[in-house]
Amino acid sequence: MNKISARQLYFFLACVMPVGKIIILPALLAGHAKNDLLFPMLACYLIEAGAVFCVLLLMKRRESLHALLENAFGRVAAGILLGILALFYFYAALLPLLEQRLLVQSVFYDTLPSLAAFAPFFLFCAYLCAKPLGSQGRVWDLLGPISIAGIAGILVLSVGAADFGALLPVGSGGIGGFGMGLATAAPWFMDGALLLMLLGRVDYRKGTAWKGALFYLAGGLAALLFLAVFYAVFGGLAMKELFAFTKTSKYFSGITVLGRIDYLFIFALSLVMAFWCALPLQAGIDCFLQVFGRRRHLATILSVAVNLLFFVLLILLDNRFGEVLHAVTGPAVWIFPVFCAVLPPLCLLLRRNHAST
Amino acid sequence: MKFVTGSLKKDTEALKKLLPAEDILTFDFSSEKGLAFTVIYADAVTDKQLLGEQVVRPLLHYTGKPSAEEIKTKLTFSEVRTAKELRKLAEEVLAGNPVLLFEGMDEGIVVGTKKVFTRAIAEPSTDVAVKGPREGFIEDVKTNTSLVRRRLKTGELRIENIEIGRRSKTVVALCYLEGTSVEKTVKDVKKKLGEIDIDIVPDSSYLTHFLASRPYSLVKQIGTTEKPDIFCAKIAEGRVGLIVDGSPIALTLPYLIVEDFQSSEDYFVPPYRATFTRILRLLSLLVAIYLPAFYVSAQLFKLQLFPVKLLLTIAGSIRDIPFSPSLEMLLVLFVLEVLNEASIRMPKYVGMALSVVGALVLGETAVSAGFVSTPAIIIVAFSGIGLYAVPNLIEQTSVLRLLMLLIAGSVGTYGIILATAFILLYLVTTENFGAPLLAPFAPMVGRDLRDSMVKYDLGSLKMRPKTLGSKNKRRLG
Repeated sequence: MNKISARQLYFFLACVMPVGKIIILPALLAGHAKNDLLFPMLACYLIEAGAVFCVLLLMKRRESLHALLENAFGRVAAGILLGILALFYFYAALLPLLEQRLLVQSVFYDTLPSLAAFAPFFLFCAYLCAKPLGSQGRVWDLLGPISIAGIAGILVLSVGAADFGALLPVGSGGIGGFGMGLATAAPWFMDGALLLMLLGRVDYRKGTAWKGALFYLAGGLAALLFLAVFYAVFGGLAMKELFAFTKTSKYFSGITVLGRIDYLFIFALSLVMAFWCALPLQAGIDCFLQVFGRRRHLATILSVAVNLLFFVLLILLDNRFGEVLHAVTGPAVWIFPVFCAVLPPLCLLLRRNHAST
Repeated sequence: MKFVTGSLKKDTEALKKLLPAEDILTFDFSSEKGLAFTVIYADAVTDKQLLGEQVVRPLLHYTGKPSAEEIKTKLTFSEVRTAKELRKLAEEVLAGNPVLLFEGMDEGIVVGTKKVFTRAIAEPSTDVAVKGPREGFIEDVKTNTSLVRRRLKTGELRIENIEIGRRSKTVVALCYLEGTSVEKTVKDVKKKLGEIDIDIVPDSSYLTHFLASRPYSLVKQIGTTEKPDIFCAKIAEGRVGLIVDGSPIALTLPYLIVEDFQSSEDYFVPPYRATFTRILRLLSLLVAIYLPAFYVSAQLFKLQLFPVKLLLTIAGSIRDIPFSPSLEMLLVLFVLEVLNEASIRMPKYVGMALSVVGALVLGETAVSAGFVSTPAIIIVAFSGIGLYAVPNLIEQTSVLRLLMLLIAGSVGTYGIILATAFILLYLVTTENFGAPLLAPFAPMVGRDLRDSMVKYDLGSLKMRPKTLGSKNKRRLG
């Protein structure tokens, strides 16, 4: 149960990873890059695909990240490095959690609910985080088809109202828009860093690395397609349409007769998102468990403590998504590229150094 | 440990001391040559006519030596064995098998003239098939194992009898196919059965608690069936079966949730029809669990979920209802559960009256009195019917429906989604006897998907389910 098969990994790369990128990010990209919103997303995907490929290559060694670092730097240094990585995961978890909370408030309630309405998420998250990271593999077997159905359903319902001419002319966003888009999208591309935690847990087969990278790019293609449809539906107003995946299909002609049937797909994607949002927290907790050794009680205590902490943090940061985003994409913009795009290739080099010594 | 001494008087007294109950009787008689015999038997559970005709009568004319071997040949009965230990003999008497003692012999002869009370083999009410075999298990373990043996005429079929229950000494028949069932599973089952320390085992459901990997879980972890054809099919796939004396419900393991969406009839109808009905069962179950919850959460938190015209209809019917949507739904659900429970327990002749009271008084009048709305009754009625599309999961799904309703009433749709995520996570991490509960979906096993929600034609099901891990992989040439 604790081993992730190649198929499960592909489902994760192609179907689970893109869902986090179709909530607020499309509107933000539309705000910065206007009709060129596809380009910053494409650039981010290509850069991150490289990082993902590096981690997938590392999986060949069938060694956990802790073992890899321990071999290279010794036990104490490995512990410290994993601690730093855990802090990064917690930092990276903040934005998706705030985003998720805003999504829940906006999509699932007619009137603004109390903070307590989001509290059950942390109960679920605490339960998930107490489980070994390897058990996620089976979850991805289920989430893969659900995610495909959700995205495909929304795209099918939306495409009738889309005017793809809105994406033209290419280049009107300018280089500045592209750069801003790139910086804004960076916090949503932590895929390479997340994959690091799967080292030693994947049942690596011949060709898993390049197949995995292709599946990751296929997921990226789905996200880009969604982005194109999103902009084609809303045009210049796209930047105001936060929670993109809940909005694009609402102009489907059958809705007046059948009701909001698109909500079926929205709920399906929300289910996938619940797992996706919890993943950075689980990865952070797993870092500590790798250092101190997995014990059931320790996992439970850590899981409850971290989730409680994040719940309090969410209360404190109540409606400050904008401020947090500004901080993450402003002064601290370097953090995500360092951990998500630079660290994975470095780990690959580390392997080479170790092998040569 | 006390043994038979050879002194008839002493041995009879010792055995009577072990069995002081009033229904344990002794019958003394002598042969023509004066050899004294004593038969000790339990009154109600021994077939006395058989005992008289096939044991006592032949011995009345016995003229040979007082030797057990020789006497055994004179009895015109096949099920005869000997035992020396008094406790063992006492156990046989309690099981309904009389013990024959005679002067000068240091062992007792056990004669298997147990009286068996059985009902006729009938179609089980919980698993009716329009096409296919209609036989069902009954309460007698011997009859049940004979039904299995009749279908699996192979030397590979092993039926091992294990006694469980300190006082009931219930016979549990462990059935499996040698070479097809996974050895580890067989060993694990035997080990778990051997560890059971319980007074009585009145039904097979008692064993599920001891066999489940998560005994306190709401989720079903052991398969059940009342039909010998299903039981044999599962054994032939590589599972291990348990038939418990006194219970018409046999157990099979490892159990996969998908089993309960399959019916024996699926294998006797065209595959497209079987696929359709399986998907229908799944949809019915999902609707039954989620419909009341979504109805309540839509009313309370997100009216957009209703189409406009339906919203207007619902608004009209709930206008004068004094209860909140969740309380109203809980009330109707409570009435449904009470009606359901009462209709099962109530004597049949009151059933008609109950239907009238349930349908007319509680339904019609409650709506016209303005206690509950018509949509609420329609939804609960549909949910009630939907749940019975998968009758083997009724205990679990009815609780889930209530749980979802409570969550929907307090947190809304997001709560339902999180609860679903929680359930999925719980299910994917549950394994029993090495088989994941949600297989072949999580983990996805491509080959086994051919007989899951989708049913391929028989020619495509050449291999046994990979999930069960049988070494004997091929089942179709």
